[in-house]
Amino acid sequence: MFTTPRLIAIALCAALNFALGSVVFLVKLPIYLDSIGTILCALLIYPDRKAAFVCSFLAAMISTILTTIFINPFLIWFSGTELAIALMAALVIARSDDVFRARPLPVVKFGARVVFYGILTGVAAAVVSAPVVAYVFGGVTGSGSAFLVAFFLKAGEHLMTAVLHSGFTAEPIDKTLQVLLAALLYRATPADFIAMVRAQPVPAPT
Amino acid sequence: MTPNGALVFAAIIILATMVSRVSGLLLLAVLSVLFVVIEVGRHATTVLRRALALTIPLALFMIAVWVGVVGRAPEDIAADQPGSRLSALAYVAIVCARLFLIVAITQAGALRFSALTPLQFVKTLRMPLTFKRLAVLTLSLIETLHQAIDRAHTALIASGVITRRLSVRNLLHGWVLVQTVWLTAITSVTGRMRDKWPIENTLNLLDPLLTEQKAPRFDARDKTWIALGAVAATVIVWADVHGAP
Amino acid sequence: MARREFIAGRNFSGRSQALIAQAKRFGPQTYFIGPYAEAALSGLSSMVADEIELYRAKGNAVPRPSFGQITVDPHRKPQSLSGGEQVMLALHCFSVSAYTALAIDTALEQLDTRNRREAFGYLDEGAFDVALTDNRTRPTQWNHLELTTTDLRYACDWDQLGAAIVPNRAPLITIRQLSFSYQPGRDIFRDAQATLEPGRAHRLTGPNGAGKTTLLKILVGALVPRTARILLDDVAYQPWRSGNVALALATQNPDQQWCGATLREDMARRRAALAGRGIQKSLADQRIAKLASTLGVSSVDQHLYELPLAARKRISWLWPFAGAHPWIMLDEPTIGQDDETCAALAHALALFCEAGYGVMFVTHDDGFAAAVPHCVLHVENMQIS
Repeated sequence: MFTTPRLIAIALCAALNFALGSVVFLVKLPIYLDSIGTILCALLIYPDRKAAFVCSFLAAMISTILTTIFINPFLIWFSGTELAIALMAALVIARSDDVFRARPLPVVKFGARVVFYGILTGVAAAVVSAPVVAYVFGGVTGSGSAFLVAFFLKAGEHLMTAVLHSGFTAEPIDKTLQVLLAALLYRATPADFIAMVRAQPVPAPT
Repeated sequence: MTPNGALVFAAIIILATMVSRVSGLLLLAVLSVLFVVIEVGRHATTVLRRALALTIPLALFMIAVWVGVVGRAPEDIAADQPGSRLSALAYVAIVCARLFLIVAITQAGALRFSALTPLQFVKTLRMPLTFKRLAVLTLSLIETLHQAIDRAHTALIASGVITRRLSVRNLLHGWVLVQTVWLTAITSVTGRMRDKWPIENTLNLLDPLLTEQKAPRFDARDKTWIALGAVAATVIVWADVHGAP
Repeated sequence: MARREFIAGRNFSGRSQALIAQAKRFGPQTYFIGPYAEAALSGLSSMVADEIELYRAKGNAVPRPSFGQITVDPHRKPQSLSGGEQVMLALHCFSVSAYTALAIDTALEQLDTRNRREAFGYLDEGAFDVALTDNRTRPTQWNHLELTTTDLRYACDWDQLGAAIVPNRAPLITIRQLSFSYQPGRDIFRDAQATLEPGRAHRLTGPNGAGKTTLLKILVGALVPRTARILLDDVAYQPWRSGNVALALATQNPDQQWCGATLREDMARRRAALAGRGIQKSLADQRIAKLASTLGVSSVDQHLYELPLAARKRISWLWPFAGAHPWIMLDEPTIGQDDETCAALAHALALFCEAGYGVMFVTHDDGFAAAVPHCVLHVENMQIS
């Protein structure tokens, strides 16, 4: 499973997840781009779904650990969310790799799939993140969604429910954006690199 | 102390922090301070500064939400009780204390080994070779991406595609910077995989370095700290079972 | 006796493939320094100290003198070094390694004159096999392999390029009271001043870290100086606020400047960024396609990153040559380009100056610089002279 090109793809996607925080800061974007590498890794390695999942999850965990150590010590708590995103990427999103690379770009089909996958991934991420946000962070992680949580709490909802509802509102938007960016990067990636990454490992002679 | 020991000790402290009540947090705080002072030494103030820098904004945010807006603690909401802002503040204090400890112990662990180069650090970790290779590759590629980001940022500002400050243009075109950086990195690694690495057999230089094992997995210091952490965690769980505050 | 193999030929004559074939013939103990960004580095280290440690021979050292003194901080990130510094580091790593042969693909062109001399001295005297391609030097007393056939797919048409130049009127750039530092107390510029005259070429010189790239970043608006009074003719110019309206830049690594995966995407975004400035005609699709073909790229739908490196370098000049901005800035334009291309480029820059453009370039290639009538702007000790 771990050929040299795949190790490179994992490391590159992990590095992308980690380094994109710098880009966000430089262009002052009000979003997080911390899972683009995870989704992209699955797209690169598909159609070997098992390898796509394992490699994309590895990329996610490496970037999560590094980000936890150097930038945001709270991110490690969301490892479950990374697992969910890697699963979605390898089993669902990557099925549309041909649409994402089609030339000319089929705008409607491309857009529809990005939105659909983004919503699906966002819902999954919200469900998996909710217990962490509720019990580790008391419902507030410092992002704007905290005010959504406050709104729902004020309305009398229990903490977990409030966090879930807040997540269902914010996560699909964030994940749709990330699926879009991952798809665009995948589309732009040179064919020879993808061929290297997808080449199956040569079995040892018997 | 070895990185393996620091990792295990930090994991114990973090897990214990998550389940502990006020008395448990106090015990863990004492143990963490001892660790920071003994192991981190002169960088101890850096640990404190970073932990405060990360936790204070979150605390202020939580106070604004829980005390300012909601006005009661989650337990009060769950029990359908009117609660009070004071109970909300107490809840915020406990959550923030936990987060502060987690950040502090994580930063202490990182700073403890700041004198090691990345290769030296990864070499000492007890993990499969594939993961060590990945760690080394990722750290190197992060630097490659950072350099590419800086240079591409200049070039794209020069061409007017993005701006230096927040703008609608950046919202629409900021992703071009991401694409440029990604493709630059791809080109670089493709060239290495095609030419330099096969000619030199470069990866074969890395493996012996990563698998050099001269020291045991845990040294005496590691075992002492791990034992202390385990005792603290046991006391906390026992106290929790017996209803200590 | 150590082998010295020099592989000569024009761009796209197959030199890189021949070099790699020779490297394989040398055997598995061959160290390779390639032509592209970071190709000198292993890609496995994030500190200079780790890069050296990776290559250092462990108990099987080859008896040979170490190359060069490593003057950079060992904790520095190799990726943050300039191209020349990376090549010097690579040569040092080879010298302390167990490799018995060395193959270098045009990488020595990134070195300044002094380092180049030192590198060639080491190659000439070392008791190890060497295979080399280089556009600036033909070492004597080496075996020469001359490759004469050239792939014409990426051939440039310099006559057509010259005919396609649109006259412009570059403003006089006056820089006064320029002060800048990345960190407090460590000024890069302190009350520096310079004048850049239209219709002339200017060569930026100075040691690594002196501020050449910093000056460039200030002029395009990527950095904010502490103080500066910059005028375009007599009009105040603050690109960090109002955006860049003066300089079209071709970066040293061409891959870092693209705004799209294909040439069409790239130019469309640049065009959109300049919408409303009345220069749409110079960036029209037809003209861009024509300019691209003069620089060796026949289709605007060409995936830029799938082009050979030398072709990517040439097409990176398209933006400055398109005439969108009156000042042209080229950062190390001759790296990896053969003599014929360098001579043609020098002539083209002279034509642009005659057409009213201003030109700035950074290069270690004294031969190329001499072919472009220019004045020198030397950046050192916080001043520009």
